[in-house]
Amino acid sequence: MTELGLRLAISLTQIGAIMGIVIVTVLLLTLAERKVLGWMQDRMGPMEVGPYGILQPFADAIKLFFKEDIIPAGANKLLFTMAPIICLIPAFIGFAVIPWGPNWTFEIGGITVKPFVISDINIGILYILAFASLGAYGIIIGGWASNSKYSLLGGLRSAAQIISYELNVGLSIIGVVILAGSLSLVTITDAQQGWFWNWYLFAFPAPQIFAFGVYVISAVAETNRVPFDLPEAESELVAGFFTEYSGLRFAFFFLAEYANMVLVSCVAAALFLGGWNAPYPGTILELLGLPSLAWIENTMWFAVKTYSFLFLFFWLRATLPRLRYDQLMRFGWKVLLPIALANIVVTSIAVFVTQ
Amino acid sequence: MASTSSTKHLSFSQWFKTITFYELLVGMKATLSHLLNYRPITLQYPHEKRTLPDNYRGMLALLRYDDGTEKCVGCDLCEAACPSRVIRVVSAEVPGEPTKRYSKEYYMDMTRCLFCGMCVDACPVDALGMTREFEWAVFDKRQLHLNKQQLLAIGDRSFPIREKRLELQHPNVAFFNVAFKHVPPKPN
Repeated sequence: MTELGLRLAISLTQIGAIMGIVIVTVLLLTLAERKVLGWMQDRMGPMEVGPYGILQPFADAIKLFFKEDIIPAGANKLLFTMAPIICLIPAFIGFAVIPWGPNWTFEIGGITVKPFVISDINIGILYILAFASLGAYGIIIGGWASNSKYSLLGGLRSAAQIISYELNVGLSIIGVVILAGSLSLVTITDAQQGWFWNWYLFAFPAPQIFAFGVYVISAVAETNRVPFDLPEAESELVAGFFTEYSGLRFAFFFLAEYANMVLVSCVAAALFLGGWNAPYPGTILELLGLPSLAWIENTMWFAVKTYSFLFLFFWLRATLPRLRYDQLMRFGWKVLLPIALANIVVTSIAVFVTQ
Repeated sequence: MASTSSTKHLSFSQWFKTITFYELLVGMKATLSHLLNYRPITLQYPHEKRTLPDNYRGMLALLRYDDGTEKCVGCDLCEAACPSRVIRVVSAEVPGEPTKRYSKEYYMDMTRCLFCGMCVDACPVDALGMTREFEWAVFDKRQLHLNKQQLLAIGDRSFPIREKRLELQHPNVAFFNVAFKHVPPKPN
């Protein structure tokens, strides 16, 4: 009983810490996105709340929290209420298997604890992919339950888009899985230690550059970001699947989108860019005689990689116009899918030959 | 549609540009260069305001001479010149001075005004002026229906330097609508 209680306490602490970090990151992202977009378009971004607008996320949060919560007259109340939750939970639950720092273990009361990963399950990637697909249901249900043509169109587009691009994400990851021989994110990250050419982006038998490209493009599509933001295309569908949502429910969708962005960036960093590994072997802090603080350097490297991905999301949004629906489908099935499949074949042959 | 695009002959460089997303990279380079050479063209409007051009046409106002008398002679030319029918003038004789007229009432419906400045051009005595005021957002549309006192007040706060009366500016010129104090009145 005490062991169970201890396990629970440790897990809840980790979950709380990581949820906190993710939510702070999301708050930061909402501001960073508007600022970066503004700077790229010769504007200033939000400037009113606090010095240089840095308190804008809090103003937004307060506004969304106190806004009237409207349920449209013809809406399916149960599904309408559930959709944002269905969207939000998978976005957050994926962080359970992301390794944020070195694969250390220590013992508390006879229990082995890994401080930098909530749960090192051996099918980590499958778990993330499965929940990412579940998140699509939130969008589809939300679009259907709103009883609005714009929401329905957004939801349907989302369904088609996620079916097409989920496949490419899965297939582009398989190359890495073949190289690492494991589905656990912790094992995959550990296998990329050493210099940066050990990262699976450049790794020896079969560099996963093409897989990385496919993954990045598909990840942008999967998180419904520009240029693949067809489900919420504001110039065509008002706001797409969340047209009818307001207040806190809208905030949930918003939070889910940004949490998905962070999750996708974390997965990309862990799979292709060596996760928490520095581009050089070991850590500088270890060389300076502070091996117990080496985790700070490692987590910082992870943060740097993740945030550069998030910057890429903003950068794409500032640059690219939205794709047309048929272009999106054609690109997914006729370009990305063959590349991903060819990458699997090439990687398999390369790994087989070199072993 | 797909067949036509696939049969089209592509040169190697075109093909290479297509597969490397060359155009996208050009666009992303442009946005990144704007990020790195960050020069915002935005003004933080309520805190800082842009300099208005010299010929800025803002809120209309009625003007006075330096002795405080109104310039307007009630000729209705502004009303005739206005394309949006903003102005309504009720003209009347100055009591006790049959040769002299003034505007008894003067209304402007600023909700309709398009700030063309034709009334100002039309005025023979320069009684109308365009100020540099532009922050005239109101909560009630009827607050934009201005009467003579309000228009004179706008003129007072926007044009602190006033002209002399015309007959004092040009002592040798005869003016319509000006009382000739040095000429004895005609016997009736």
